[in-house]
Amino acid sequence: MRQIRALLARLAGMFTKNRADDELKEELQSHLEMETAENIRRGMSPEDARRHALVASGGLTRAVEAVRDRRGLPWLESVAADLRYALRTLRRSPAFTAVVVVTLALGIGANTAIFSVVHAVLLKPLPNRDGDRLLYLRQSADGPGQANISFSVPEVHDLRAGVPSLGGIAEYSPWNLTLQGDNDAVRLDVGLVTGNYFDVMGLSPVLGRLTRPSDDGAGVPPVMVLTHDFWVKRFSGNPAIVGRQVKLDGQSVTVIGVLQPAPFFPDRIDALLNMVVSPHHVSAMMVQNRSHRMTEVVARLAPGATVAQARTEVAAVYARLQNDYKEAYNPGSHYRIVVTPFKEALGERARLTLWLLMAAAAFVMIISAANVANLTLMRGVRREHELVVRAALGAGVARLRRLLLVENLVLTLLGAVSGVAIALVAVRLLISLAARYSPRAGEIRLDGVVLGFTLALSVALALLLSFIASLPREGTFASWISAGVRRMSGSLRKQRLQRGLVVAQVAVSVVLLAGAGLLTRTMIRLSEVDSGLRTESVFAMDVPLLQLSGGPSSGTDPMAWFRHIMELDVAAKEQYERMRSEIRALPGVDEAGLGSSIPLAASMMTFDVKAEGQSLTVGEAVPRADVRTAGPEYFRASGIPLLAGREFTSTDRAGSELVVIVNKTFADRFFPGADPIGKRIAWTGPLLKLSPISGDWRTIIGVSGNTRDGGLDAEPRASVFMPFAQMLSIGGALVIRGDSNAPGLVAAATRIVHRIAPAAPIVKVLTVAQIKDQSVSPRRLNAELVSSFGILALIIAAVGIAGVLAFSVSARTTEIGIRMSLGADRGQVQRMILREGGVLLVLGLVVGVAGAFFATGLVRGLLFGVAPRDPTTFFGVALLMLAIGIVACWIPALRASRIDPAIAMRSA
Amino acid sequence: MDVQQGTLALMILRTLEVLGSLHGYGIARRIEETSKHRLTLNYGTLYPALLKLEQEGFVSTEWRPSENNRRAKYYALTAAGKKQLARETREWRQTAELIAAFLASPREAP
Repeated sequence: MRQIRALLARLAGMFTKNRADDELKEELQSHLEMETAENIRRGMSPEDARRHALVASGGLTRAVEAVRDRRGLPWLESVAADLRYALRTLRRSPAFTAVVVVTLALGIGANTAIFSVVHAVLLKPLPNRDGDRLLYLRQSADGPGQANISFSVPEVHDLRAGVPSLGGIAEYSPWNLTLQGDNDAVRLDVGLVTGNYFDVMGLSPVLGRLTRPSDDGAGVPPVMVLTHDFWVKRFSGNPAIVGRQVKLDGQSVTVIGVLQPAPFFPDRIDALLNMVVSPHHVSAMMVQNRSHRMTEVVARLAPGATVAQARTEVAAVYARLQNDYKEAYNPGSHYRIVVTPFKEALGERARLTLWLLMAAAAFVMIISAANVANLTLMRGVRREHELVVRAALGAGVARLRRLLLVENLVLTLLGAVSGVAIALVAVRLLISLAARYSPRAGEIRLDGVVLGFTLALSVALALLLSFIASLPREGTFASWISAGVRRMSGSLRKQRLQRGLVVAQVAVSVVLLAGAGLLTRTMIRLSEVDSGLRTESVFAMDVPLLQLSGGPSSGTDPMAWFRHIMELDVAAKEQYERMRSEIRALPGVDEAGLGSSIPLAASMMTFDVKAEGQSLTVGEAVPRADVRTAGPEYFRASGIPLLAGREFTSTDRAGSELVVIVNKTFADRFFPGADPIGKRIAWTGPLLKLSPISGDWRTIIGVSGNTRDGGLDAEPRASVFMPFAQMLSIGGALVIRGDSNAPGLVAAATRIVHRIAPAAPIVKVLTVAQIKDQSVSPRRLNAELVSSFGILALIIAAVGIAGVLAFSVSARTTEIGIRMSLGADRGQVQRMILREGGVLLVLGLVVGVAGAFFATGLVRGLLFGVAPRDPTTFFGVALLMLAIGIVACWIPALRASRIDPAIAMRSA
Repeated sequence: MDVQQGTLALMILRTLEVLGSLHGYGIARRIEETSKHRLTLNYGTLYPALLKLEQEGFVSTEWRPSENNRRAKYYALTAAGKKQLARETREWRQTAELIAAFLASPREAP
């Protein structure tokens, strides 16, 4: 308290200096006079009296100084003086200040922006209570599309019973429902969850309540919890929604609460419901069949348990299951469970990309810092005279160092402020990038931690810059001054440091450019990939009509539910055909077809498949194929070429012979070198009896070309098309090929769909170009970001080389003058300077190429169609760096050759 | 003899308690006399100490005419100053007793 009061008084004292000084002088004067008067009273002569009084005072000036030190905060005042001085110096060299601030702003801005993404997506603790104890369990098997096959309910039960180190295991089944609004319908991505889900996840409601164990099982009312995003988006954050009934797939569901904002995995969702909303989820089929895997599993570590324990126990239980239920775990498919912390699972798609970008940004920072360091070193040399004079006037080395530090702090903080401004803009762009990779993109912002990072970065830079400048040792100043030295420039150490920095800049630029080159080539390769469609003027609409939830409540005969669905399907097929024929009749439409899903999009279903007369060898993975359906016009409308056989016709209908068209991958897998037409195949496997698909033999009547359904970068998967009429219309898509007026056609087609099926949601309308772009655009953004970092690095490095050489030229003006007067011609001088720069350039190139050789291997996972050490890219990058570097050397070389020897030597 | 660090504040406070409101010269005179001129106070010691006490709120100041009609700055004890004086006095007594007892203890046989 006392100290605070005194501190405040001293702070105040800094601002009332003049008045207080006058007052103090008056006080001391009156003291002196009183003492003089007293001395006179004792019998001294006036002169003696005054002299005695003065001696006793101990010196008025010293007293004033002592009181002043006590009055204000001396160290603060001297820092303020340094600050004023620094600002004045920087204002005097605006070019230097501007270059440094801009360079730093670019480096700091890039790092702040990328770090804000890394922090939000990978580092920040989850909003979930004790989020670091959440685990994600993933079951996978060999084969395409088997990387995450999720779990069946019996598997979850066995894990729950056998793994004590998991305190809670919750089920989460991704599902789709149609929300019927007053005048629209939207398709929702939802999660059907067990009652313990929110407890395990450690999430709380912001409104109402969440589901609980009493909401489990059949025979309870269906309830819905909205995610925060969806609540805001769909219901404008209206709290009155809680307690209301909404229509989902035709049934009434009560909204019971709104969840706190939280990330979900694997995908974003709109709402969470109890299982009863889907009769299928509470059916015996779902609950008892071990192979019926459609449940994601999250678990919470029991108190005191570790991830390693959980892994061991899960592995033990799983080994037992694989032994006990051989039919559910085909040995050739290598079933396995991986236990990952939930936070890591959330970040897994983003991790490599983000660390790549962070590394690129760090490289830009290194190059900018090197440039600023070089500028500071050069300026330091020019300022040595000033420093010598200041030292002569009594400033110690510590004081000079502090002066430099304050100056550099001003520079880096100015850079930081401009950098944050850059980051504010960049972050908006990055959020859209991150949203493709991470469910946590919404959490990206420039918060305290990020700004703290920026501040720490700036202070660290300022320290680095202040200590890189070599100040003379204490006591050596005097000898310089007496020797009449005006500068102590050009020390070997300093030059070596400058050159080292240039080599580092070139090297780091080469690494960045190599990465940028590889990513750009990846992007180009990807956009050149043959999607499998012969035309681009195609658009596709996802129009799911069949609503799988609702209908007869389960617990009763599962076949009753099937019959209900079959009835719905007849009506849906009629509607689909009406939509198709009306759209086909639109002017400008060349063809329109129906199918289970739009081309170039993954199929919703994959089943085991077998060919007649072929058997599996022991240990061979069970072959699987994507299940698709197609109407007679589907292939023509999509532009998928038919390689052999015939297309479907209107005579391939329900009740006629079962026929299929397979794609080329399928034909090559099952009938290598043979004609597949007329051969028979059948769906098989434990899942088949859960589906509306029969295991009857089907005759192959045609072979279609491959399409890139898993994204342009994924190999085509084996697909089997069944006639649209011979299969339940799960999914449901219209493929429309028209003339160039796609937007007009989309609007017209949308009107037709809404008129025929007002309650049907149109999930998405995409042109083929847009579908392709979904694969390409994240890579393009990657390539663009790293390329812009690379170009930035190149520019800064070029400025760095030119700057250092120019400095070297100006330091060697006299020497060059002497050389020229001794007969060196302009060409020789130019070559001398070029050689000086060329050595640095070549050294940097060698180091850079070696670094890139190592570094690009780390980004292998982000590349497509190009090797990490692609010689073309490396060669191109080296050539580019060399060309830019030579230009950068040429400018100072040219200047050197224009030196007039007479002037140069006279001014020495 | 120079005044010992930390004791000057106590002397000033005590002086002000005994004599009431007083100017810098008066305080210096009084301290020198009380110490039988064993202590001499130059301005550079006295005035920073007075300023510190003022900043800490233990003394208040006022400009007014002195006995012989000169303008002088007068220092007076505040309520907080009185409390501080009592506290410091107590602490000093304890320290002094302790040191005295310590110095009086007989030398032990080696």
